[in-house]
Amino acid sequence: MLAEVDLWTDLAGISLKNPVLLASGTAGYGVELSGLMDLSRLGGIVIKSVTIEPCTGNPEPRIWETTGGMLNSIGLENIGVDALADEVLPLISDFGVPVFASIAGDTVRNFARLAARLESAGGLAGLEVNVSCPNVEKGGIQFGSDAGATAAVVTAVRENCGLPMFVKLSAAVTDIARIAEAAARAGAAGLSLINTIPGMAIDPVSRRPRLGMVTGGLSGPAIKPVALKSVWECYKATSLPIIGGGGICDENDVIEFLLAGAAAVSVGTATFQDPDSAIKILDELPAAILRAGSNSVIRLVGSLRTS
Amino acid sequence: MADVSSPAGRLFEATLQDVRQVASDTFALEFEASAGNQLPAPGQFYQVRCGGDREHMLRRPFSVHFAEVSVGGMKLGFLVENVGWGTGWLSSLSGGERVNMLGPLGNGFTLPSAGKSMLVSGGIGVAPLLYAARELDASGRAYDMLAGFKTAARVIDRLGDLTGGVEIYTDDGSSGSVGMVSEGVAGSLGRSYDVVLTCGPEAMMAEVAALCEAVGISCQVSLDTRMACGIGSCRGCVKKGARGSNLCVCTEGPVFDSFEVAWRA
Repeated sequence: MLAEVDLWTDLAGISLKNPVLLASGTAGYGVELSGLMDLSRLGGIVIKSVTIEPCTGNPEPRIWETTGGMLNSIGLENIGVDALADEVLPLISDFGVPVFASIAGDTVRNFARLAARLESAGGLAGLEVNVSCPNVEKGGIQFGSDAGATAAVVTAVRENCGLPMFVKLSAAVTDIARIAEAAARAGAAGLSLINTIPGMAIDPVSRRPRLGMVTGGLSGPAIKPVALKSVWECYKATSLPIIGGGGICDENDVIEFLLAGAAAVSVGTATFQDPDSAIKILDELPAAILRAGSNSVIRLVGSLRTS
Repeated sequence: MADVSSPAGRLFEATLQDVRQVASDTFALEFEASAGNQLPAPGQFYQVRCGGDREHMLRRPFSVHFAEVSVGGMKLGFLVENVGWGTGWLSSLSGGERVNMLGPLGNGFTLPSAGKSMLVSGGIGVAPLLYAARELDASGRAYDMLAGFKTAARVIDRLGDLTGGVEIYTDDGSSGSVGMVSEGVAGSLGRSYDVVLTCGPEAMMAEVAALCEAVGISCQVSLDTRMACGIGSCRGCVKKGARGSNLCVCTEGPVFDSFEVAWRA
């Protein structure tokens, strides 16, 4: 019976009424979508990555559609942590949905500063720590491509902020499970998988790259197989609660991520196709759970059959 | 103050009532949407779902070339030039299909309450200016339209029913006057216009903007760019502005004062 399906899930002690979240970078600050859908129906939203100072982002063009997804080189354009904390977070707390802020630092210290500032602002359920950022103190190598750098960020954030922290990892590494283990040992509450995958597109007539920054991040259905594998590997390696996403378009995709080990899922690129995608997915989710032979989200998490 | 807000546009389904070819590779699609949808202003646009499923995820933005209240609610007209997958899908519809749209979005042209306007278009950029012209006709305000096309086969056959004067320019002279439409602008700006509204390729709009600046006439341009969200959240449509600030085309535009735009040399 559809009415008896329990959509409740737990993310490191954060109780969510259902596992469907909006992914960072695809839902702005939530405000932009608030007139188009009832955000309070969602399990949560992860808002746009914020930096210490406001950031104007990359030169255009910043997006390009690809088969099964899109490339973006937005460049972390955001209003800065002060404007977020002082002006936007008070608006978002009225939406009646758990809000996770995503923080993007260029140094370990700046990650810690961001975390502390946002905790003091109040109103957040947790943090998503975007380690797919260049570490300016180490020649621009991404934090998330190095276990030690990831651990340093997690440690610094934990020392300066009590909010549950979900580390957003990139699959463009040799062994994502090793990075996940380092994050777990350093005290991360959970993981968010996966960030976009590096890619590019070219105009065969003008000979120019389609993106102003030449390369960008690929998202959408094309990356779903990579995202599922990442979730499965990290779940086996750490048992940390996972927010899993990458190309989720319908309720069946959600089930796949839950089975691989995600306790919650993030819907991203699909929101550009239909702003109410996450709601439509949520409406169809109980039936999908029944088709998988269960009546609860929690019982599906990590129950992939491999024998 | 951080400028974060929810756009006024709605998500709705519109039914295709009529498809008509109006030029080579260009079609006029007329939709009807139910009551409860607000009429767009000239220059506003809709993010249209072009049937892409998982292969083609993004909506395509289109400005309306006409919109009016109807018995069933509201009629919306779009001009679609078949240049890619999404526009190809739309222009191959035959009628009766329901198409999902998000809108009206963005800020339209500011039409002057008095005086004379010059409307300058290049190619498919004629669409929002057609709507602006109809709006000016409806309220008895004067304008001249200069519409540039590559060649005769590309000239949209919707210009005949306008009250205002329309001059056609074609690159090859196969219809109307030969030359770039901006050459026509240069020749005409001497007559007194209060404002110039323009939409078309960026190089054309840059020239028109420069001509207007030289004689001190206000110029509004309609920028075109790829879009993902269309509602100001993804920042994918952002272009760098003239004063170093960002222009978010879908929420702050698509219409901008020409001085705001950093025209590429």
